[in-house]
Amino acid sequence: MPFIEAHSLGKTYVRYAAPKNGGISRLWRREKQEIEALSDASFTIEQGELVGLIGPNGAGKSTTVKLLTGILTPTSGSCTVDGRTPWENRKEHVRHLGAVFGQRTQLWWDVPIRDSFLLLRDIYDIDNVTWQKRLDALVDALELEGFLNAPLRQLSLGQRMRAELCGSLLHAPKLLFLDEPTIGLDAVSKLKLRAFLKEENEKNGTTILLTTHDMEDMLALCSRVMVLGHGRLLYDGALDLLLKQYDTVHTLRVVYEQTPDMGTLPCNVKQDGDAFILTYEPAVTPTSELLPRVLSAGSVREMTLKEQNVDELIARMYKELAL
Amino acid sequence: MKYMIHAVKMLFKSAMQYRASLVMQVLAQFVMTAGEMLAVVVLLSRFKAVGHWGAGEIMFFFGVMQASFALTELFGRGITSFPWFVQRGEFDALILRPRPLLTQVLVSQLDPRRIGGVTVGVIAMLVAGSRLNITWTLTKALLLAEVVLGSMLLVLGLFLIEATMSFFSVKSIEMVNILTYGGRTACQYPVDIFPGVLRFLFTYLAPFAMCMHWPVSWVIGAPMLSLPTWAYFLTPLAGAAFFALMVRIWYMGVRQYRSTGT
Repeated sequence: MPFIEAHSLGKTYVRYAAPKNGGISRLWRREKQEIEALSDASFTIEQGELVGLIGPNGAGKSTTVKLLTGILTPTSGSCTVDGRTPWENRKEHVRHLGAVFGQRTQLWWDVPIRDSFLLLRDIYDIDNVTWQKRLDALVDALELEGFLNAPLRQLSLGQRMRAELCGSLLHAPKLLFLDEPTIGLDAVSKLKLRAFLKEENEKNGTTILLTTHDMEDMLALCSRVMVLGHGRLLYDGALDLLLKQYDTVHTLRVVYEQTPDMGTLPCNVKQDGDAFILTYEPAVTPTSELLPRVLSAGSVREMTLKEQNVDELIARMYKELAL
Repeated sequence: MKYMIHAVKMLFKSAMQYRASLVMQVLAQFVMTAGEMLAVVVLLSRFKAVGHWGAGEIMFFFGVMQASFALTELFGRGITSFPWFVQRGEFDALILRPRPLLTQVLVSQLDPRRIGGVTVGVIAMLVAGSRLNITWTLTKALLLAEVVLGSMLLVLGLFLIEATMSFFSVKSIEMVNILTYGGRTACQYPVDIFPGVLRFLFTYLAPFAMCMHWPVSWVIGAPMLSLPTWAYFLTPLAGAAFFALMVRIWYMGVRQYRSTGT
């Protein structure tokens, strides 16, 4: 049996809004609006997987997370996590669950973070020896030694995120939810955080589900992604396969010694200063066919092949899927 | 229980981070509540009695109400500020922890300023007690402790109504305030000085009379009813019953929240 199994999971919100027309009766009349936040989502996730959940804002990512964590009950479908239904066996379910939600803190603001971790020990009923061992390991991996006695409010954003992660992993959860874990962090902190998550996933077999808009996070962490849009699961599979699908246009930047005649090249040509920007579709014009002709057009001083930016790819994907 | 005590300890520790500010706020609360007490004193010095109640008796009732209410505000801030808690989406974080939800809400916040109000209440009781020459017995002390606990549960139950409404995005807080803060102001006087409707309201619906006035009147030696002693130990349980009922309703609100996610 898979670790997480969702079967045509759906969630419809009901909102009441004043009708657009209707004169004075707008004051008391309410129109019922049904918003389908998630519909018919089926997927399975195995223990130890690291899955990225992507999609534009309002695509249904947080609804999916809220259903899997048991915060919300679904309108239709079923789901089990580790054999339990999240919204029915709340206490038992969340005992094996860790979560870090964006910039919302789960620790206590005004006390040393060590005190927060002590209280978490009691909340999760962890025995002292296990707790101390786990804390030492996490403090070491997340480089928190110097801050254990500082209150949360005095920590920088990066330190705070590390403290949050430490707090969410103290009870050694089998499943960890992360919502935008690297948002607002500097480059060094991002790299360290990613390395830590990768290690936590590999060493302890923690299943990690993360939502992010940071494509570098995706590339570094997730071999598998689920793309949501308009409340539907649009893609579920390997990240490279997805990228290959949309990686259709390549760019070549060439600088010649003397301005050559570019008219006959089978690609799009744009001039940028003394450089030429050539864009082409490898599916139509293979690179092996184009390159010799570019080289023979004149004497080349400089040439770079520009890789497609992942953000651009995702933007193109959203556009094509009309999200 | 270990978790609750630990959590409350930590809240006090948090409050102690801002010691100077805390002292000022406690003082401010003390002065405000003392002002209310002074108003009662002025009233009594002018009229000598309210209904058939003498000055010392009225002052004792006032003390019990202030102490119980301020104690509830001190420990019940998680519930009084619950609507903001839900609005900021922080309730979700509580659902993700393996502890009873209401317990978590209760120990999420503290309002240490109310120590000022509690102090005034205790002073009022002490002053009134000495004026009334009450001969204290263990039974009376125990009953008084039960009265304070029962009244705290009643007030907490009233606060819970407002908390429950935030699940249904209803903002009729003023309606509820009639019962909570209105109840505090009205029921610092024994309920039998009021006309029928109010007396009914505060005896049976929001049972301040059962939790507070009946047993206290026996403690100060001027019983409102002729009940056997053991019965006075039973009536404050109305506060616990009221609280239990409101807890059930609050949990219905939780169910609504988890299905609508607002």
